Amino acid sequence: MAITEGSAARPAARLRPPVWYRSWRFYVGLLLVILVYGYGWQVTQIHLAELWRGAHLIQPFVASLASPDVLTRERQIQQATASFYYGGETPPPAARGAGPRLVLSRPTGAIGDRVTATGDGFAPDLRGMLWWENQIGQRQQLGPFATDGRGHFTLTFTAPQVQGTHNLVSAEAVTGVGPLRPSQTLLLVTDRMIETVFLALMGTTMGVIFAVPLSFLGAKNLTSHFPGGALIYGLTRTFFNLMRSIEALVLAIIFTVWVGLGPFAGVLALGVHSIASLGKLYSEAIESIDTGPIEAITATGASPLQVVRYAVVPQIVPQFIAFTIYRWDINVRFSTVIGFVGGGGIGFVLQQYINLLQWRQAATALWMIAIVVAVLDYASAVVRERVL
Amino acid sequence: MSEPILRIEHLTKVYDDGTRALSDVSFEVARGEFLVIIGLSGSGKSTLLRCINRLVEPTSGRIIFQGRDVTAASRDEVRQIRRQIGMIFQQFNLVKRASVLTNVLAGRLGYVPPSWALANYFPTAVVEQALADLERVGIPEKVATRADALSGGQQQRVGIARALMQEPQLILADEPVASLDPAMSHSVLRYIEELNKNDGITVLCSLHFLSLARRYGTRILAFKGGQIVFDGLPREIDDARFKAIYGDDAVAVEIT
Repeated sequence: MAITEGSAARPAARLRPPVWYRSWRFYVGLLLVILVYGYGWQVTQIHLAELWRGAHLIQPFVASLASPDVLTRERQIQQATASFYYGGETPPPAARGAGPRLVLSRPTGAIGDRVTATGDGFAPDLRGMLWWENQIGQRQQLGPFATDGRGHFTLTFTAPQVQGTHNLVSAEAVTGVGPLRPSQTLLLVTDRMIETVFLALMGTTMGVIFAVPLSFLGAKNLTSHFPGGALIYGLTRTFFNLMRSIEALVLAIIFTVWVGLGPFAGVLALGVHSIASLGKLYSEAIESIDTGPIEAITATGASPLQVVRYAVVPQIVPQFIAFTIYRWDINVRFSTVIGFVGGGGIGFVLQQYINLLQWRQAATALWMIAIVVAVLDYASAVVRERVL
Repeated sequence: MSEPILRIEHLTKVYDDGTRALSDVSFEVARGEFLVIIGLSGSGKSTLLRCINRLVEPTSGRIIFQGRDVTAASRDEVRQIRRQIGMIFQQFNLVKRASVLTNVLAGRLGYVPPSWALANYFPTAVVEQALADLERVGIPEKVATRADALSGGQQQRVGIARALMQEPQLILADEPVASLDPAMSHSVLRYIEELNKNDGITVLCSLHFLSLARRYGTRILAFKGGQIVFDGLPREIDDARFKAIYGDDAVAVEIT
């Protein structure tokens, strides 16, 4: 009776919690939040102005994203060359052959000389470019030319200041373009992307092979029936947690030391990391199974192995498949960066392109990663939906 | 009177957490009986049924099934004894993702060579037996259906077919109709009754509703607090007995 009286007598307003802005706890909390984020802002060196100031540095890359190096045309070129040596040495006479010819007014000279180049045998009415190539193959333009109706041109130029003495003058004109074909970059990037996908596949497979048996040891509901089961369970789970806490990138660095640079190190890194994370997911799937069928199959007189086959396996297989595909998906995404530390795959070429400021090529690699990962992401979602 | 199919002697079960589920229970079951066990939830009915095929290990006492001591049996012997005891569950306990046929075939696991079963191979004769059992419980057309696509009543009939695959001498039914609506309850219990009458399979069945117990049981055993408080014919349960079993506040609910 006392309880009833007490709760009825108490006015409802008294039970209402105090308004937030009247509580001192609110102000202490606010102060703490400001302190934490203020320190965080300072310690991570956030300078928003840099985003604007450095924009011109990244601008060529952003522009390249719109024009990745994907396709190229084979160009048909007419070319004729003639030697021009500095320092008095006479170049060997040019071999006579069919096709266009280039003759210089003199074969030797010094920097600053005026030289006239005469071309013959080119296609008529063609526009081309005269190039200067020094002893180590560095090129510079001397000037454009245009052939007349008989395929003849003359062009006078000044011998440029270069290192070395053995120079080559080259007249080149584009006569036509061939069909479109994939560029070298695209071929290389595709090749590395395939390597990446298979790297993820092998790593995931390695994970599955070891995680499946281990996951049974890491499932409480199965191990608790056996003597020493709690110890086995504890050890397995500890192993999973320890291995999972080491990032795959760190593992990749360790394995490159062990087995050398290349995709194998990446496979091992992804594999070991997958064992741990798949093992944990599998174990939890086993722990969440319905015990009813186990009881029922046991009651028919089935052996323990038969019970696992008929009551446990049918319940966990769809979940195992879903988790595995999900893991493969993650591994493909991850294997794109594992190349950064020498673990093989597309990350290695991407890093090279970025370091050499080859933005169009880098854009090709990035697009490739984005498309493949998105496609696999979608495919894995579809498959997971089917099996669950 | 012939040798009883099942004899329980001073059976006691105390769970690890100290719960005393059964204390000193003794009774006999004659061949061909339809013995209904009634009692409140937690009165020890499920524990008793699970002790008989040792899904639950008894703390003390003896269980004699067809002259064999179940409580003293080794692992292999227990599996041989389990083969002859079919079991039907309140929650049906089918493998939900598997087909009806696979669920029924699983009832035969105790008989087929283990390696065959692991490869999911069953001899043709066993598959035909499974189809015949499904026909018997009236759902032959559901062979290839996934178990979780069936209604509750149909699932329980698959459960009965699974038990039938064992060609059992005894069927333990743990609240077989508690998850079903009244119409389905009668349908399922009639199948069990049919097995009892035509095949001579002894049935131990726990039920919630006294009306169902009176309708199907040839004998009733009432439990309260892990002990037998009534053992007799269905018509002997009068108002006073009812109150003794279910407590003074209980009201009999009819299910027709």
